[in-house]
Amino acid sequence: MPADRPSQILPPAGREEHLFAVALLFPCFAFVGLFAFYPILSSVYLSLHRIILGLPGLAQPFVLFDNYRQLLGDPVARHALGNTLLFVFVTTACEMVLGLVIALVINRSFRGRGMVRAAVLIPWAIPTVVASQMWRFLANDHYGFLNYLLFGSDLPAYRAWLADPFWAMLMIMAADIWKTSAFAALIILAGLQTIPDELHEAARLDGASAWQRFWRITLPLIRPAILIALLFRTMDAFRVFDLVFVMTQGGPADGTNVLQFYGYKKMFAEGLMGYGAAVSVLVFAVVLAVSLLYLKFIGRDILKEGSR
Amino acid sequence: MRGLHRLGFLLLVLAILAASLFPFLWFVLTSLKTQVEVTAIPPRLVPSGSLAFYRAALQEYNLLHFMKNSVIVAGFSTLGTLFLSLFAGYALARLRIRHKPLIMGSLLLVSMFPQISIAGPVWRILDQLGWLNTYQGLIVPYITLTLPLGVWIMTGFFRELPRELEDAARVDGCSHLQTLFKIIVPLAAPGVFTAAILVFIYAWNEFFFALLIMTQQPYQTLPVGIALFQGQYTIPWGEIAAASTMATVPLVLLVLLFQRRIVRGLSAGAIKG
Amino acid sequence: MGSQRGSGVRFVRRYGGVVLVVLLIATLLPAGCRSKENPQEAREVKFYTWKPNQPEVWDEVIALFEKEHPGVTVRREIGPHSSTAFHDLLAQKLKNRSTDLDVFLMDVVWPAEFAAAGWARPLDDRFPPADRAAFLPGTIAANTFEGKIYGVPLYTASGMLYYRKDLLDRHGFPPPETWEEMVRQAAAITAREPEIHGFSAQFRQYEGLVCNMLEVIMSNGGHLLDPGGKPAIAEPRALEAVRFVRERIVGAAAPQGVLTYAEPESLALFVQGRAVFHRNWPYAWAVANNPEHSTVAGKVGVSVLPHFPGGQSHAALGGWQVGISAYSENVDLAWTFVRFLTSERIQKRLAIRAGLAPTRRVLYDDGDVLAAHPQFGPMKAVFLSAVPRPVSPLYPALSHILQRYFSKALSDPRADLAAEARKAAAEMEKTLALMR
Repeated sequence: MPADRPSQILPPAGREEHLFAVALLFPCFAFVGLFAFYPILSSVYLSLHRIILGLPGLAQPFVLFDNYRQLLGDPVARHALGNTLLFVFVTTACEMVLGLVIALVINRSFRGRGMVRAAVLIPWAIPTVVASQMWRFLANDHYGFLNYLLFGSDLPAYRAWLADPFWAMLMIMAADIWKTSAFAALIILAGLQTIPDELHEAARLDGASAWQRFWRITLPLIRPAILIALLFRTMDAFRVFDLVFVMTQGGPADGTNVLQFYGYKKMFAEGLMGYGAAVSVLVFAVVLAVSLLYLKFIGRDILKEGSR
Repeated sequence: MRGLHRLGFLLLVLAILAASLFPFLWFVLTSLKTQVEVTAIPPRLVPSGSLAFYRAALQEYNLLHFMKNSVIVAGFSTLGTLFLSLFAGYALARLRIRHKPLIMGSLLLVSMFPQISIAGPVWRILDQLGWLNTYQGLIVPYITLTLPLGVWIMTGFFRELPRELEDAARVDGCSHLQTLFKIIVPLAAPGVFTAAILVFIYAWNEFFFALLIMTQQPYQTLPVGIALFQGQYTIPWGEIAAASTMATVPLVLLVLLFQRRIVRGLSAGAIKG
Repeated sequence: MGSQRGSGVRFVRRYGGVVLVVLLIATLLPAGCRSKENPQEAREVKFYTWKPNQPEVWDEVIALFEKEHPGVTVRREIGPHSSTAFHDLLAQKLKNRSTDLDVFLMDVVWPAEFAAAGWARPLDDRFPPADRAAFLPGTIAANTFEGKIYGVPLYTASGMLYYRKDLLDRHGFPPPETWEEMVRQAAAITAREPEIHGFSAQFRQYEGLVCNMLEVIMSNGGHLLDPGGKPAIAEPRALEAVRFVRERIVGAAAPQGVLTYAEPESLALFVQGRAVFHRNWPYAWAVANNPEHSTVAGKVGVSVLPHFPGGQSHAALGGWQVGISAYSENVDLAWTFVRFLTSERIQKRLAIRAGLAPTRRVLYDDGDVLAAHPQFGPMKAVFLSAVPRPVSPLYPALSHILQRYFSKALSDPRADLAAEARKAAAEMEKTLALMR
């Protein structure tokens, strides 16, 4: 039993409280059990077989870890893993920083704040597939707005942004940062708004500078919000798919091939269901590892009970 | 010093505005061009003001229909997730249950599952239930996928609230449910609205499951509808731009409405002190 | 909270959660719930297709079928027009043995895969060799797997060379016959014309890349798979062709950006007047000559693709066919529909009204068709010689390997072509070995 601060006022937890808790939690777990846990187990089961849809004559033998063994030796998968890790760390870092800045800005009271809030949410409100098409259009080497912005009418100077593996990856990251900074901003904003003004007032009266107030009051109090944003953003970034699907299809030369896209191609396009499932389990494993690291170093107390 | 601060702040705001809006503004400009102007080399900044793309998006491409479906699916998903997260969050934050880390952790796990591994089995389950090409066929997976975020946000919020209010209510004889609805929920407004926006936009944006599950036009949502604008060898940039512009406006209005509520929810005196 | 509300409160306390869950499910279920479908009406054909470029023409065709077969309705389900997305969704349905479709469209590289997987029904009894002879041989070959036929060709396409007639005339050039000639003509013209590129084609990492490279490689006498079925991309002739593209085309005659182009972007360059030569499918003809879409309407010529000295011009075979699902409960009706769609008069209608090149040979001598689309005349020779991509149930996997190799070869000037080709060939061999 985790250490409780026993309430002096209320009677100890009775059956009624337990039943109530179960009633509150049960629907969640019903949904999650059927539509999330069962499918992932089914997927893990699939990954232990060799399944080639185009060759049903080969049956679907149980091969235990063969798919995983093959995966470890697969250079394309290694490359995809590298691309994915790069994508995750760069976009998450940028989005957290930008999200924090944006949240701090729109938390202040100023004229037109509502408009700025709405403007910040627009990138995020555009469906990802549309935004990806838009960025692909923007990055075009002849009629793309990006080139026009940078080089005006100087046509020979125009670059083919998506033609080079390095720049293509950069464009994908830029598109994602543009689109999803609002996510972190929103969560951090909600955290900021629970900080009472009096705390800041008192500190200011005591002579604390803006930076000191930020560092010693604001930041610690929004730590839970930052952690939630960081955690969920990281998990989403590992599973990036729509952007790559629309903007580059993994190219050029697999330069933007990310794990989930690779898994998709194997499963849905090539019909290698077992191998594709193994790739997706790999994604899950990597995300799990990274999340555990986060929780261990940043949010040890988040999971347990404990109020301020 | 004050003046410099103010200027710096203004510049920051302008920078944020520009960065957020400029790609979208380009799209809006594109939507007002003629077909030949869209891929003009070099790009033309000032459009000719043609509304042909808007007409096409509405009539030939049936934009309003897709938007309606998206609103229904996203709306019900949001309601469902909020409902369930509210209860679950309260339970996890306040009630004395065992194994809280396990529960929170297993919910978190759900957000780590890659879509491609869940999609197939979910499709099969929905097929068995006869829920393919129905609204609930998409709503239920969306609720499932947004529950972790919703629960974590709600739990975080509820935990920040001071216990004294609840204890007072309980001492007065309120049941758990009454306490929940009368005291906690109003105070958790910022969390509720934040979660609501996050879930709504997730459902609004979601493409992969929508593509797999809604294969018939009457039920397709906006992202799928717009993705289907594409012909075999043509990408109708103009129509896509017009459709995106039209689709974003209601969302912006919705957000403007919500964000004022968030601010109001704050000033409830009960939080402070 | 007095005790007179005690019992009500207690009820809510106990069962509140359960009641809420029930309410939630109850509100969701009726929303958009369909009643379980009536057992399949024997008079309905379920057709999985993509959204056509000319919807009115297709609506007319469907309406005509329903008129001629009273009591029968065709229920269309529209999938994405992107070939890969269409494939993935169709495969998903067939893999799960859905009875949701009877008839479906197949891209030219799918019949072998669908046949081997048991998704497409063999049509030998209904589509005998005598009937098949009326179709272009390449299209029949693409639908045949292990001696049996699994689809009926609906319309065809193959790569062709578009060019700026006005520019070539101005400089006194005839349409080029070899790639070398094309590159030289392009250089001469671009030296004198402002801000124009020589060539525009599709070299993005996707299926179209395989088509483009296939055409170049085979026009040098090389192969992707040799006649014995072994990967041949590491052979000298194939390497030579790839080297030519890497050094003389990408970033030279054509802008570096072609590495990001699929059909829309490459065509946009041409119709905006920024390219002298352009490789694309037949659909580009109508677009390039449409003043609403193109700035070069009326200035466009079309011919067969160039080849290398000693080689022959080859075009990749495209086009779509109609298949019947192995899980269809309605095969006779489905076949009636298939036979209707691929009949001479409907193909003629689709050719004239929608510009879809027919697969029945006789239509290429038809006065009405040629009057509406004069470019079909010279295209006939191209279609007759068009080559299908490797016909294999594992084609998607082979294609991905080839796409990866070609994209690497073309985008990385420091890549060791021979080594990369050998690696790719080895991978292809490993994949093909699964079949033996």
